[in-house]
Amino acid sequence: MKDDAKLRPDLRLVLDARAERLDAARPNAVARQEKRGRWTARRAAEAIADEHSFVEYGGLVRPATEGMAGAADGLVMGTAKVGGRAVDMVLYDYTVYAGTQSAMNHAKISRMFSHAEKHRLPVICWLDGGGARPHDMHVTARPSTPTFVVFARLSGLVPTVGISPGRAFAGHANLAGLCDVLIATKDSAMGMAGPPLVEAALGKKYTPEEIGPASVHWASGVIDILVEDEAEAIAAAKRYLSYFDMERPAGEAPDQALLRDIVPENPRRAYNVRTVIQTICDRDSVMEVKAGYGKAASTAFGRIAGRTVGIIANQPMYLAGAMDTPACLKMARFIQICDAFDIPLVVLCDTPGLMVGPEVEKTGLMRHSARVLSALANATIPVLTVVLRKAYGLGYYIMGSRPLEPAILLAWPTAEFGGMGLEGAVNIIYAKELEAAATPEERAELHASLTAELKRANTAVESGAKFLYDDVIDPADTRDILIKTLETLPQPAPRTTRKRVIEPF
Amino acid sequence: MAKLEAKSEVSGFIWKIETAPGQRVAKGDTLLLIESMKMEIPVVAEADGVVVAIAVEEGGAVDEGNTVAVLEV
Repeated sequence: MKDDAKLRPDLRLVLDARAERLDAARPNAVARQEKRGRWTARRAAEAIADEHSFVEYGGLVRPATEGMAGAADGLVMGTAKVGGRAVDMVLYDYTVYAGTQSAMNHAKISRMFSHAEKHRLPVICWLDGGGARPHDMHVTARPSTPTFVVFARLSGLVPTVGISPGRAFAGHANLAGLCDVLIATKDSAMGMAGPPLVEAALGKKYTPEEIGPASVHWASGVIDILVEDEAEAIAAAKRYLSYFDMERPAGEAPDQALLRDIVPENPRRAYNVRTVIQTICDRDSVMEVKAGYGKAASTAFGRIAGRTVGIIANQPMYLAGAMDTPACLKMARFIQICDAFDIPLVVLCDTPGLMVGPEVEKTGLMRHSARVLSALANATIPVLTVVLRKAYGLGYYIMGSRPLEPAILLAWPTAEFGGMGLEGAVNIIYAKELEAAATPEERAELHASLTAELKRANTAVESGAKFLYDDVIDPADTRDILIKTLETLPQPAPRTTRKRVIEPF
Repeated sequence: MAKLEAKSEVSGFIWKIETAPGQRVAKGDTLLLIESMKMEIPVVAEADGVVVAIAVEEGGAVDEGNTVAVLEV
């Protein structure tokens, strides 16, 4: 290399222009962002990308509107390696007109999304900004920006990860809502319309945090993973992408004897199904998504002996594991992600069935429970079902039962099978006998004994004898059998076309 | 010493209170049981500590997110 003084002027011009967009050349912008308590987009880009792997696209771009200036016009983007995997990343820079979407950075981001489509690269979006930049409204091509359409078409083709590290409103929220997985910091705020629009429409002043705080989006299922800060957000994004390395060396197995005692002997006693998930997976390999929503189910990615799996499970700690609309929506979408990317699915069943009553019917449960069944019935990924305890009614039918042709269908000793809750079944089957009982006490006694009889006829071993399950097993053998079953299921060849779209919700 | 509130994750009724103020508990111990959807749902201590208060009575109703007990940890 020549020393700097001898550089030709044409090269000098380029090198100076390249340096201007970096944080080192923008101390005031960096100070503003620090005052806001947040990372700059470039600091985030550096933390996301493996060392020396980032290649920037459109770094020299200036705002289209005359008189405006801003590094890379507010969008840092390019290719990089993340944990050794090639990705495209786009990061809105809040220090440039509050990270707003401009005519030029729309052109940039569309270019990057098309690039991701053509080269089949996962996309990481850093969504820190307040929607459209009004100053650019005069730019002719602006209203025709394909940004959101191009991004929507990536669904199911490549993994898309959104990070909301501060504020994501309007256009930014639109991108966030299209991501497969959305990671957000606890102090972030998001919404389809920010304060100025809300005030204009509703005549009331709100802060961004009053409109769409992270707590609200966590409870509504918009946010998949809630984190403390930028560092945690980036770590979560990397971790999510790591599951797309479908095979890794086997991790350490937790003590499997624990599984024998997780389901309490008292059939009325709840337990936390997360313990089952943590125990069948490699140690520290589990990443739960949407834990703040649809709490009657748990959905997680994990590894079993190094192999990536998705897990859907009923959660007896909430509604006794009865499947309500949020739980169904959460599971259905999770199945779509697994199916789109050929991730085998482990189904852990302990449900008294679909949730019942007039209130849940108002939520559209007929359609939303059908989403889960439709997703599983049409998925081509292997399903490995384990019945932990209750396997009742249509709930069980949906949770990986025999007609869904799971690769294997296992049951624990605590498995109870029934077309409907056995107490209820007794009421119908023995209605006349119960009616004939002389006193309420006698009726209750008769009901209890008939229920017990029905339960004895439906124990795990009896059900095994009727071939309801492929086998009834020692819970401590679950992981071992899942590993052996996964070994019979070779990884499908990498796809050259999209298998399916993943619905935004 | 910090106060730690144990909250109910579900709506239901208090089925059985298994601890009393002044009692020392270890992380994971069941403080009380809530009945919801015919299931007994344990509320467990999230850390080692001493029970300072039980905020509910057996048979009483709780909503999701209600504080049911307070620990000093």
